[in-house]
Amino acid sequence: MSILQMVPAGIALVGAVIFVVGVVYILVAAQRRPYLSELAPIKRSPGLGVVYAFTLGMAPWAKESARRHWIAYIRGIIIHVGIFVAAAFLIASPWLAQMVLPLRISLAALFGVGAVLGMAGFRIRLADPTMRLLSTPDDYFSLALVTLFLASGAASAIKPDFLPAFWAISGITLAYAPFGKIKHFIYFAYERVFIGLFFGRRGVLEWTHE
Amino acid sequence: MSSTVETGKDKLTVAREMLGNLVDRRVLTALEVCVRCGICTESCHYYQSNPKTEHTPYYRAEMVRRLYRRFFDPMGRAFPRWVGVKESTNEILSKLAEIAFASCTLCHRCTFACPFGVETAEIMRIMRSIATATDNAPEMLVELANAAIAKEENAELFRDIYRDQVKELEKEVQDRLGSSKARIPVEEKGARMLYVPLAGAHTIIPQAILFNAAKESWTLGMFESSNYAVFLADDIKSKRITGRVIKEAQKLNTEEIIVTECGHGYTTMRWEAPKWFGQLPFRVRSILEVVDEYVREGRIHLDSSKNGQPTTYHDSCNLGRKGGIFDEPRRVIRAAVKDFREMTPNRLESYCCGAGSGLVAEPEWMDIRMQAGKLKAEQVQHTGASLVITSCDNCRQQIGDLSEHYGLNVEASSVSELAVKALA
Repeated sequence: MSILQMVPAGIALVGAVIFVVGVVYILVAAQRRPYLSELAPIKRSPGLGVVYAFTLGMAPWAKESARRHWIAYIRGIIIHVGIFVAAAFLIASPWLAQMVLPLRISLAALFGVGAVLGMAGFRIRLADPTMRLLSTPDDYFSLALVTLFLASGAASAIKPDFLPAFWAISGITLAYAPFGKIKHFIYFAYERVFIGLFFGRRGVLEWTHE
Repeated sequence: MSSTVETGKDKLTVAREMLGNLVDRRVLTALEVCVRCGICTESCHYYQSNPKTEHTPYYRAEMVRRLYRRFFDPMGRAFPRWVGVKESTNEILSKLAEIAFASCTLCHRCTFACPFGVETAEIMRIMRSIATATDNAPEMLVELANAAIAKEENAELFRDIYRDQVKELEKEVQDRLGSSKARIPVEEKGARMLYVPLAGAHTIIPQAILFNAAKESWTLGMFESSNYAVFLADDIKSKRITGRVIKEAQKLNTEEIIVTECGHGYTTMRWEAPKWFGQLPFRVRSILEVVDEYVREGRIHLDSSKNGQPTTYHDSCNLGRKGGIFDEPRRVIRAAVKDFREMTPNRLESYCCGAGSGLVAEPEWMDIRMQAGKLKAEQVQHTGASLVITSCDNCRQQIGDLSEHYGLNVEASSVSELAVKALA
């Protein structure tokens, strides 16, 4: 490994360590917060509510907002699938040479589309007056990081020469994630569980939608 | 909950302490998971009726998030502007009291529009708590909550007057049923059900007719189901007001508490009270569940030909989206009317009437709630119905006011009143 590869690889490793420590810290801090269990007799199963929250409750037809803004819904799905696959690709990237070309091209396509949709996020944020008003520097910086992460992932999947850039950007993204908006992914599962438990036990969640 | 006047602390200190104490894991998640994507915007009836930034759910919640970040988030403390904290904490605080009480009815509709399920209503509830503790809560709500507590403290003063009033209502029930045996029992020990009405005959007479028709063992107590401290998010007073009814049920040794058609009254007694008192030794149900049961079991018979006018149903947010009572009122209505028409959207996606969470109690907010209810008025109009049934007294008053304000020419009524009209 050349010095040009070692330095970015080191950045990625340091970023990964900061990421893991940060995530653990956030999880421990969240667990330390009290959780008020509901004691009222249940109307329907809270467990089934959680299942619903992670499955049908996320389906586009279950959300008026997704039915109304289906392009935004699809954009969100593609970006997030891209990010999670790119994270797996990062772990596997030292063995990039052993990946078959069709797989690399498929990954590049996914990351590339994700990066384009990430860039579109800037336009969306700036075009809407309310979003512009409420967006923070952290929002733009986080969006830039994940867009670069996906773009560099796409480039390196096609041309391994870009791997050092991908590692360096990954390291910075991972190191920043626990401090900024990107940390929302940690709370995502919590939120769905809470929704499922709370509304599930009350018999609110509707498995079929009229 | 102590106010700033009682503690002698400045508002900022109280806000900081309360935010630190009240943010549990669920609220922390709601605060942290939002990415400000704005997809919740159109889910809010305030925004739909008057599209402006201040009416978006994420704007409201973002104001609380800024306060939270300023106090507790490492990045917010070190670099407040980086995470959007532009205003001083005092500026945010003063904005938030108004937002929490007059620009959000805690209807939870935006939660189901959000890809993550952010519970903005829970964030607003925390903000109401803080506003109440810092003496920024609406005076009318505070007075009504205090009056409920005073009524318990002076129950003996009211007892005889109340019993006399109920005797008068009993005569109306007897006339309606054509039976001198029909009764409205008060504080009767050993009755199976303690029925908890509101402070109005319209929540006693129809239900008394139905209970008598079904030959139910029931009694009234001394207290009503409304609990204005819930709107203030003042847990100490809420517990005290709810506790009056629980003590009554224990004293009378009833098997069930039946809450009248009152959204927050039902949710508080059914779902919140066990948090304060532990598991209750009796079942809590809504009158809607009881009437539905009577119809299904054949204890009362409804004749739909007695109600011919086009009828629609408005889902109360507390009973529906927060209480899971969607089917019960619909079954009763379908049995009681010939022409039932659903609003669109309905059930889980029903819009708030615009008067929830205490808005209806404050005369100064009449203009706000008429504007916030514009969407509901349009929904009602689209059904072509001339009768709107709702299962919450706040909603009922709002639908009546909306009818007058927007010239809808509809009548607002309750499920119980409808069932009485359809009694065979």
